[in-house]
Amino acid sequence: MDKSKNPLKVALHGMEDRTAKTMVMYLQGPCRGAAVVVSDSEADVDVFDADVAGVGALMDAHRAKKPHRPVIALSLRDGELAHVFYVKKPVKTDDMLGALNKAVVFLGRIKQNEAQNTQTGNPVKSNVEKADNPNLKSFVIDDDERKKTAKHQAAMQLNEKGFNAFIGNVTGLDVNDPAQFAVAKYNPKDYFQGHVESAFKISREQGEIMQLNSGWSPVIIFPQNNEIWLDADDKQLRAFSGLVISNTLDGKISTTALTFESSSLSRSLEKFHSMDAFLWKVACWASKGRYPVAIDVTQPVYLKSWPNFTRLLITPHALRISALLIRGPRTLANVAEVLNIKPQYVFVFISAAYALGLTGQARRESDALIAQTAEIKANKNKGFLGRIMSKLRG
Amino acid sequence: MSQYKIIFTGPVGAGKTTAINSISDLPPIKTDAAASDMTKSKKSATTVAMDYGVMNLPGGEKLHLYGTPGQERFDFMWDILVTGGIGLVLLLDNTRADPFVDMKFFLDAFDKFIGDTAVAVGVTQMDVSAKPTIEDYQVQLGGMGLKLPVFAVDARVRNDVSILIQSLLYSLDPGLEE
Repeated sequence: MDKSKNPLKVALHGMEDRTAKTMVMYLQGPCRGAAVVVSDSEADVDVFDADVAGVGALMDAHRAKKPHRPVIALSLRDGELAHVFYVKKPVKTDDMLGALNKAVVFLGRIKQNEAQNTQTGNPVKSNVEKADNPNLKSFVIDDDERKKTAKHQAAMQLNEKGFNAFIGNVTGLDVNDPAQFAVAKYNPKDYFQGHVESAFKISREQGEIMQLNSGWSPVIIFPQNNEIWLDADDKQLRAFSGLVISNTLDGKISTTALTFESSSLSRSLEKFHSMDAFLWKVACWASKGRYPVAIDVTQPVYLKSWPNFTRLLITPHALRISALLIRGPRTLANVAEVLNIKPQYVFVFISAAYALGLTGQARRESDALIAQTAEIKANKNKGFLGRIMSKLRG
Repeated sequence: MSQYKIIFTGPVGAGKTTAINSISDLPPIKTDAAASDMTKSKKSATTVAMDYGVMNLPGGEKLHLYGTPGQERFDFMWDILVTGGIGLVLLLDNTRADPFVDMKFFLDAFDKFIGDTAVAVGVTQMDVSAKPTIEDYQVQLGGMGLKLPVFAVDARVRNDVSILIQSLLYSLDPGLEE
């Protein structure tokens, strides 16, 4: 049978004008006229976009009015409703034609049943099923959450010029001198960083709100929300994070559990930070351009995943370092060489990423043997990409 | 002079129009229309064709920014759209019931294009719905054998969109200089 001479009549639902027009052309063109779009009252079949908000209620309403009309649903997910023929997006012509065929068969059966029931006098049963809307979540918009500006603020992107003043350095140590690489390391446990990491670990493991007491401003840790509260600005935090406190404050630092009531005291919303962003900064300031002692500088390092850079302090070349390390493990010196940057930028990035558990070190011999080329293949549009980068970094 | 473009894609309401608006040098040409009853609960207007913006570069060159229609029905339109594209920005709405389904859908749909170029993923609405977390997205991607830049993004904030695009460019070539 030439379907284009006897096309199926379909009504479209959940599609705005432009998309509906495209659908009309699609049925005429790629689907070779197997169906034609008509008004709801004339249609034999309903075609829904099953992924738009409110589709469940709309489909319920239509199926209550037309319980025997077949439904074709264009959907991102596999369908579950009986008597609905699902076509997975992006819509493929063969799938669409298959669904239209199924609708024709279904219609034939319905008509046959109606004819038999007319003869026997039995009414046709409704097959309406409840269609849950798969795409709606309900939210109570928390205004307080949106006012936590420090937690949600966009990342600060440091350039080389301001790096040393912002991150600091260690007197008598040139971290960029390959001869001094072996000693260009630091132990996070000697710094506030080590205590923050330890308190975060305890708080997360126990699922309890904790307070880190250090003789300085206390840090309140809310593990369920992945955030901390600290009554100090970045300048104060930077100064404290850069101090070796192992010999002076270690005995005075403690972590105590807080009751929900005491932790719920009125707190300034702009002093909430995400735990990750906070620890990242603290690690940068403890590092001062060095790498953590747990890293073997002679062995390749790999990156497990990209840091969430839009919510972190971005040190110079951090994005480039991530893009390179995500491709495969390299030694820190090799990263600096390939990218032609000072090793201190690699070291400080690794310190922060290591604190967040985003890096690992290849310990097996086979990992160490992974070829580390001194060059990377340049993109054919390198010049153009560079001009976009200049514009973005303006 | 060559014409280069970056494609912004993602489900309806993910912030594609807003993101292009954030970094375009010209007011973006929008093709929004009043949303139908179906989409009203998500946003008051929806993009029915494609958004367009432009970044003017030194030397008179231009980077074109195209946003795909929010409704993701027809794969044949995307083939036309990606021709000449240098990379893909995928924006996902964290308030959707299952943003991982969206992510997989768009990554599958643009699979060939991504294979030839690169992709960066921005997750919007995280201040409304904190979960799934960025780490959750990375776990999902890991299961697909992918390690992509995935960042929390406020599409209204130029810096967020800029960092997302920078990660895309460095994914294409880490050797690009700052």
